[in-house]
Amino acid sequence: MTGLRYAKPVDNPNEWRNVFVYLENGNGKLKRVALEMIGAGKALAEKVSEKLVGILIGDKIEEMAREAAAYGCDVILGAQSPDLRQFRTIPYANIVGEFVEAEKPNVFLIPATRNGRDLASRIAVKCQAGVTADCTELDIEKDTRILSAHRPTYGESMLAEILCRKHRPQMATARAGIFKVPEKTQDPSACTITIKDVSVDKKYLAKEILEFRPKNKVDLTAASVVVSGGLGLGSPEGFKLIEELASVLGGEVGASRPTADLGWISRDHQVGQTGTTVRPRLYVAVGISGKIQHIMGMKNSETVISINTDPQAEIVKYSDYFINEDYKKALPALIEAIKSYKNADNEVAPAVQNQGGLAEGSQ
Amino acid sequence: MVLEIVVMVKQVPDSQEVVIDPVTMNLNRSMTRNVTNRADENALEAALQIKDKTPANITVVSMGPPQAESTMIECLARGADRAILVSDRALGGADTYPTGLTVASAISKLDHFDIIFAGEESSDSSTGHVGPGVAEFLGIDQITYCSKIQYEDGYVTAERELEDGTEVVKCPTPVLVTVLLNSNYPRRQTLRRKIDAVRKGMEVWNIEKLELKPEWVGVRGSPTIVRRMQSIKEKQREGKKVTLEQIPDLVKELYEKKIIREVH
Ligand SMILES: Cc1cc2nc3c(=O)[nH]c(=O)nc-3n(C[C@H](O)[C@H](O)[C@H](O)COP(=O)(O)OP(=O)(O)OC[C@H]3O[C@@H](n4cnc5c(N)ncnc54)[C@H](O)[C@@H]3O)c2cc1C
Ligand SMILES: Nc1ncnc2c1ncn2[C@@H]1O[C@H](COP(=O)(O)O)[C@@H](O)[C@H]1O
Repeated sequence: MTGLRYAKPVDNPNEWRNVFVYLENGNGKLKRVALEMIGAGKALAEKVSEKLVGILIGDKIEEMAREAAAYGCDVILGAQSPDLRQFRTIPYANIVGEFVEAEKPNVFLIPATRNGRDLASRIAVKCQAGVTADCTELDIEKDTRILSAHRPTYGESMLAEILCRKHRPQMATARAGIFKVPEKTQDPSACTITIKDVSVDKKYLAKEILEFRPKNKVDLTAASVVVSGGLGLGSPEGFKLIEELASVLGGEVGASRPTADLGWISRDHQVGQTGTTVRPRLYVAVGISGKIQHIMGMKNSETVISINTDPQAEIVKYSDYFINEDYKKALPALIEAIKSYKNADNEVAPAVQNQGGLAEGSQ
Repeated sequence: MVLEIVVMVKQVPDSQEVVIDPVTMNLNRSMTRNVTNRADENALEAALQIKDKTPANITVVSMGPPQAESTMIECLARGADRAILVSDRALGGADTYPTGLTVASAISKLDHFDIIFAGEESSDSSTGHVGPGVAEFLGIDQITYCSKIQYEDGYVTAERELEDGTEVVKCPTPVLVTVLLNSNYPRRQTLRRKIDAVRKGMEVWNIEKLELKPEWVGVRGSPTIVRRMQSIKEKQREGKKVTLEQIPDLVKELYEKKIIREVH
């Protein structure tokens, strides 16, 4: 299906029905982002009274299919083979392309993860269709069934609404950590699951995956508290204090990109445009200047505290509280204050505490 | 045999204070300074590192307006052998589909290619879609989000950085490789090379040369359209100053507002 072909409008958009979502498989398990796609896709499908179709590829995928069914898919189209255990662009793209050709979906959502992006534009080119990258909001017009895909642009300062009126499917990659995971309440038998055993032509397996080195998994997207360190830490040792604060707050450790580039911390901790988007209850930015690419990943946090020696740092604009101090002083003070508040809280009766508060206030 | 390497580069606006044309809702490029997309500098460096070990020819290809010449000259000055700028009125306003089609068409006009490098994404449109799109148009395999890229005996080996780990991948050529930002240190341009680069200059190709029709490319060939642009309403934050001495009060306030909660 390849070749130097232009993007071709479809003759009859009404033939194109239902919402496809790509269910990303991570080592035999549905990724969290797959569930987010189900949530995003279900809302669109329900609005236009169409079906939500999950696309699932891998090896031995029955169990994942049943799980996706419980999260609300109406149909699952699966393809399995031992040769599909690992994600490989060409065989995966070919299979997805065949599903699209056979089923003619109106909308197709793919997560904007690295493997999702690896796949998405190849599928768009195969289908001679358009794809909107990295969406954070999705809606569909009831009558026309036109997808309205919103994506942040120009350093996240603007939100663009992008349409694809004439080409089908209307494809979008959707950012991880934005869309809600739906309730796991559907009876899986309500979903039609069709899994084909496929054989993969050896010529498509030329790309070999020699090794996979897993990272210790940090799920920043689900964290309610994130404490992040930046270059202002001065050295990898600085992350010890970051870890300590994260631990007393019951949170996770985040990082700015250059600290990950320097190997002070592993990449999975990186917050920002090219890292993870977080929206915790509390975000603490330590020694982070607040460059736009970092802000993009944390600005939806409920409360932000920053610690920075530079009173002009851009991060101040994005902070509810700003501690203008060297982190080597501020962090131990913060950790100490939290610990002693906790201890006081545990040992001192509330009435006594209140009195203490009043006494202070009355001075 | 000499390895033929292509590097896809894009010129992007440098500033974050970009100006948006209220009519077309596109970037007003006349107001901002333009630079080479930084990840594309890493892509060129990856190509140059292969050339350090294996005889190779490096061609940089870009689609863009005439002022992208400065990027093309810069690439030559860093060590590329040939620079082709695809420039044509009809190409304006392209989304990722026709951009990929145009760049792929230019590459297909070369006698031969073994490895195509692209950046992981461009800083202005940041889709990461153009590289894989080109691979699909040309019907070749791809390795995306790479660092530690090596070539030996017809195979490229690279590390792919994913959300949950690192994949070591080996793929026969021809292959398209997208290169991570900051995955290497781009070498400097030397004065001698700069002089040579200006003397050598770039080639400019138009769409006739690529046998592309005007309705296939640019804004006319783009399946997606921008309907609206809104500025994102930022949550206003106070940036309330807290001194070292006030930290216990801050902690108290955060507990009372249930922003800090007991950990179970
Ligand atoms: C395409 C692209 C994508 C990017 N994606 C991301 C991304 O996803 N995430 C990301 O974070 N960045 C990203 N970046 C990089 C981003 O532009 C910034 O370079 C980066 O966020 C800066 O990191 P930093 O704040 O840690 O370092 P710096 O900007 O160097 O800031 C360090 C701060 O520490 C303060 N400081 C110094 N000493 C101390 C001390 N003792 N105590 C307290 N404070 C101190 C300084 O005042 C300064 O404000 C991206 C860039 C590009 C071009
Ligand atoms: N106009 C262009 N000309 C040549 N290469 C491009 C162009 N646009 C994008 N690319 C390449 O594709 C990569 C990804 O860009 P994007 O899909 O825009 O994020 C860039 O890093 C470039 O290597």
